[in-house]
Amino acid sequence: MSPPGLRCPGCGSSNIVDDDLYCQSQLVCADCGSVVSEGLLASDPVGGSDVSYSRTTAVAKKPCTNQIKGLQRLKAICRTLRVHREIEDLSQTYYNQAYQHESFIKVSLQKKEVLAGCCVLVSCRLLNWPISMGTISCLLDADPMVVGVVYQAMIKVLNITAPIVNVTDVMEAHSQEYKISSSHVPEELAENSKDLTKRAVALVELAADSWIVTGRKPIPIMMAAVYLAWQSLKPTKQRLKLTLDKFCQMAKVNKHRPAMKRIAEMKEVLCKLGKEIPWVREAVTPDNVVQQVEDILQHRYALLRRALRTHEEALLEQEASSEAPTQISELSEKIPNSSSVEPCEPDAKMAEEPGDEDNNQCVMSEFHSDTQKNQDPTPNWGKRELFAPPCVIHAKKRRVEQPELRDVTGDEEISDSEIESYIRTPREARDFALTQKKLAKGEIEKS
Amino acid sequence: MDESALERYFDDSIANDSNFRLVEELGLQSPAPHVEGPTPFPQDSSYLSGKAGQGGVLGEELDLSFLPDDLSTQESTAQAESPNLDVSQDSGIGPDCNSQDSTAANTHQGVSTSGPGTSASPFCPMTPMTPMTPVTPVTERSGIIPQLQNIVSTVNLGCPLDLKFIALQARNAEYNPKRFAAVIMRIREPRTTALIFSSGKMVCTGAKSEEQSRLAARKYARVVQKLGFPARFLDFKIQNMVASCDVSFPIRLEGLVLTHQQFSSYEPELFPGLIYRMVKPRIVLLIFVSGKVVLTGAKERAEIYEAFENIYPILRGFRKQ
Repeated sequence: MSPPGLRCPGCGSSNIVDDDLYCQSQLVCADCGSVVSEGLLASDPVGGSDVSYSRTTAVAKKPCTNQIKGLQRLKAICRTLRVHREIEDLSQTYYNQAYQHESFIKVSLQKKEVLAGCCVLVSCRLLNWPISMGTISCLLDADPMVVGVVYQAMIKVLNITAPIVNVTDVMEAHSQEYKISSSHVPEELAENSKDLTKRAVALVELAADSWIVTGRKPIPIMMAAVYLAWQSLKPTKQRLKLTLDKFCQMAKVNKHRPAMKRIAEMKEVLCKLGKEIPWVREAVTPDNVVQQVEDILQHRYALLRRALRTHEEALLEQEASSEAPTQISELSEKIPNSSSVEPCEPDAKMAEEPGDEDNNQCVMSEFHSDTQKNQDPTPNWGKRELFAPPCVIHAKKRRVEQPELRDVTGDEEISDSEIESYIRTPREARDFALTQKKLAKGEIEKS
Repeated sequence: MDESALERYFDDSIANDSNFRLVEELGLQSPAPHVEGPTPFPQDSSYLSGKAGQGGVLGEELDLSFLPDDLSTQESTAQAESPNLDVSQDSGIGPDCNSQDSTAANTHQGVSTSGPGTSASPFCPMTPMTPMTPVTPVTERSGIIPQLQNIVSTVNLGCPLDLKFIALQARNAEYNPKRFAAVIMRIREPRTTALIFSSGKMVCTGAKSEEQSRLAARKYARVVQKLGFPARFLDFKIQNMVASCDVSFPIRLEGLVLTHQQFSSYEPELFPGLIYRMVKPRIVLLIFVSGKVVLTGAKERAEIYEAFENIYPILRGFRKQ
């Protein structure tokens, strides 16, 4: 009903009714039919209402379907890894942040999945849950390099500094993967996972101290540690004969090729320490060092001290004995050196296979002779230390750069003849052009 | 206000003692302990031109040839550049700087960069009144000099080029437009490679020193000239310098990344070296466990030396574990 007191401006009557018949309700005078007021549509403010559309009508911005799917994948990864709730929440936050960023909004779906994995990785690192990038790549079934690239882009975008992962921390999680408990393999070859982990961690710590771990990928090192630990816990003939290949097959893990080299390096370090054991009579070689591993690990600090002392004494002795003029000593040292190189080479050729031991012995003799065989004057300091990073001990021979232009001012005269030598004669150019045409024609005819 | 005060101070000193003349010259080039960066000290040119204006006497008596010898007493090779001189690089006193316009540089360019052998001046730079930049004492310096491995420079030849024609007429050129839109040209001496674009711009890589890079770029420009294009040599600029060296002891990268977390990035699963992004000077260093260090991102040689001198004490800290 119309409000009381309203009068029609046309005839003055107060008989005004609400007319709802049409699309908008109008107040109409019943007597003369004139419209008193028109309603919302006519009285809309010019230029739109004062309240904006987004405030009254638009719903909250929903994440797009791909983002939701990504979050679900992220949750699945977290569940597989069985991480804390906090890590899951943190990684979800990061994912939402990163997803919206311009460098990730338009990448392929596969990369977005990798991004989800990287968010989990960074959250784990920040909250002290050790996992390696290799694990994430395995879970995502992606190339580790791609994961690395996305990871680095992500931490730059989100401005995070995450601590690195310690290999010894990851060791436990890694050794769980090896299926060699007594339920999976025969009793002879089975091993309790706790013992295995403990021994493997000790081996990795020893490797870290002797420069094997720094700069290398962690997974082959862990694999080598588990293998050696497994062998040394019960050094029977059967175990010693089992190669890394077969061990990985048995434990149902993928073999990593660098693990062979790591095994050799670790055995070398163990030999260096094993030599110092007072109650071992025979020489300790990479072949028989596995039996001594338990003792070595148990007394490793004492053995380390002894080894360092012996090494220092040996160095002092060497310096004292080489008081003769350096040239003569170098010459005489070179001769036995060259002879020791010869037997090394056929050994190296024979031992192509997993038997890095022969190669190893070669290296050991090199270390003992303690001279340099390359022509460069700077001595290889790695050979003088007891423990040094393997890349220093086996330094690659660098191609000696010819000392070229020195004292070039940059403003010298450039001879015409030199420049001419870079330009084709007209005949050459013609021949070249003709040959190119012929080749191009030949290709077209072929295809 | 500061400018005139400083000028007056130096003018007085000159009037007082002839010895200080050279000292002030050196002192002014290294004005204050806190001056950093390549921005030229605004007083330099005014002071020098003022000096020249004071009468040819001073200009003639100024003998700057002592500078490289005196400050580089430790180095004995011709290639050795004293890191001391990096503070004076902005004024062109450094022996390698070759593109400054100050009068000092002009008089200095006649002096060759051969190190020892030229007479050592009896002048001692350690006079008490000298406002010199504090120099790191000799015993603390590393004694290791990074060797330059690669210089990347660009130059504008100033005219559009017909790449097909160049590829046809030049022996040392290759051009595969489907793969890359530039001609790849190589010369033997200095052993370098150039990318020549149709706009006339050129990138020259592979040289082992700034002068070699410039010489190589000029040779490429001459080749293009000889092929008939009106090539010029505009805006030659060194864009990047890469150097490497060896500290000869192993480095605990894990420890380094823990203590310098905000600068370092170490991911052994991705790359065996540690990537250290130094803020001042802005250089990226790749540090490896073997003790080898690669420095890159520099536009000037001095930045490389400064960066290495900055990182060396840090690395020393991780030596004995």
